Amino acid sequence: MDYVAGFGRRSLEVVGSLGRATQFLFGVLVGVPKPATGFPLLIKQLYSVGVLSLAIVVVSGLFIGMVLALQGYTILSDYGSEAAIGQMIALTLVRELGPVVTALLFAGRAGSALTAEIGLMKATEQLSSMEMMGVDPLRRVIAPRLWAGFIAMPILAMIFSVVGIWGGMLVGVDWLGVFEGSFWGNMQSSVDFVDDVLNGVIKSVVFGFVCAWIAVYQGYDCVPTSAGISSATTKTVVYSSLAVLGLDFVLTAVMFGDF
Amino acid sequence: MESSAYISLKDVVFSRSGRRIFDGITLDIPKGKITAIMGPSGTGKTTLLRVIGGQLKPDSGQVSVAGHEVPKLKRKELYRLREKMGMLFQSGALFTDISVFENVAFPLRVHTSLPEDMIRDIVLMKLEAVGLRGARDLMPSELSGGMTRRVALARSIALDPELIMYDEPFTGQDPIAMGVLVKLIRDLNSSMGLTSVLVSHDVPESLSICHYACIIADGKVIGTGTPDELRNHPSELVQQFLSGQPDGPVPFHYPASNPVDDFGIKGASI
Repeated sequence: MDYVAGFGRRSLEVVGSLGRATQFLFGVLVGVPKPATGFPLLIKQLYSVGVLSLAIVVVSGLFIGMVLALQGYTILSDYGSEAAIGQMIALTLVRELGPVVTALLFAGRAGSALTAEIGLMKATEQLSSMEMMGVDPLRRVIAPRLWAGFIAMPILAMIFSVVGIWGGMLVGVDWLGVFEGSFWGNMQSSVDFVDDVLNGVIKSVVFGFVCAWIAVYQGYDCVPTSAGISSATTKTVVYSSLAVLGLDFVLTAVMFGDF
Repeated sequence: MESSAYISLKDVVFSRSGRRIFDGITLDIPKGKITAIMGPSGTGKTTLLRVIGGQLKPDSGQVSVAGHEVPKLKRKELYRLREKMGMLFQSGALFTDISVFENVAFPLRVHTSLPEDMIRDIVLMKLEAVGLRGARDLMPSELSGGMTRRVALARSIALDPELIMYDEPFTGQDPIAMGVLVKLIRDLNSSMGLTSVLVSHDVPESLSICHYACIIADGKVIGTGTPDELRNHPSELVQQFLSGQPDGPVPFHYPASNPVDDFGIKGASI
């Protein structure tokens, strides 16, 4: 009986939290700041969540591209198809690994930082003081961070894919000796802008929106104590990762599932 | 209270997490005076400020500030009313990523379109009023607790509000910092004609500067009047609070089962 009661209580909590998160999102999207004040805040946040995430994205993209080339070469050379390595790397990165891995890295680096920052602002009454000064924290603090995540994610994912392809070329062409013309030529003929590149960008836009939403909501809704902020930061990374992987399956099925 | 009420609470009931914090509070806070709201820890003094500021909505009752029924205001109207309010938070609540100068300039930049040189002059005047003009370039992390509250005070008067609410301004302050804050609260009230609401459990400091005081306990107002009236108040609870007696209507012991059950002394009764 206790188990049933506990399950019911937990379900109500989850539904309540989803309701609050949706209401919160509505408040942020409706309360668009004035361009004169909002734009500088957005630029600052783009730097903080986008530019500062560049290093981890570039390094990860490079190594993932290099590993893809090594693994791809090992398998494809068994069938004498190592010339298709460029095609394999590009499609894998542009369709899947670019958006997904960037989103996971984004959740770990920028998402957790956003949650901790907003949570700490709540714990130190900075959000309350803003409210009491007649400044809406949803507009001033939350909206620029949400939009920055939304804008930065697709750009980071594209950079990830580009660097990954370059890393794949370093290993495939320069090290393993795949013919450069085949590497680029196969890639060019098989990667379609709309079906592959655009779909990858759409995925990263969705992931960016979801990750930023989870991060800012967890910070805003956290219990304003050190344990509460710690828990909210963990939730951001866990929920974002699960949401990205789950949504990736759904989006992939919709985009590429015409079997 | 002979002055007209700037803030008026009538039969305010407020509950949180199933616990009734206010059980029908009725209180008038006069315009242009310092009113201290005192009471034991956990009685909801800070909650009362948040109800007045519209951050929390009461379950029932009326909360009126400057003639506006706060719980019924729309979001935009509430934010407009808050431009006339200043609040000094217990922690200071300075924005940690910007300097002292920028903290004080923040409300001016958001709510006015004054030119930069005028903002600079106003900020420096406000900092001068709290004695921290020389600290304008410091970051909040470089300030002591007392300095943090003084900067927060300068920020809360930046827009020349009609009402200022102080949330436990003296807590954790050394005697010098406390003396500075007492002086500032008194001087700002008289020079700017502010209506001041001071929430505190520091009895001597609060009674030394307030015109009126009100004591809250068990969700109700148990005593109200001038400091002298309160000192002669017949309520035992008011006297226990004002003189800091460890036992009385608020018992020393938290309610517990019979000690005999816990300590296992057979045949004994306490």
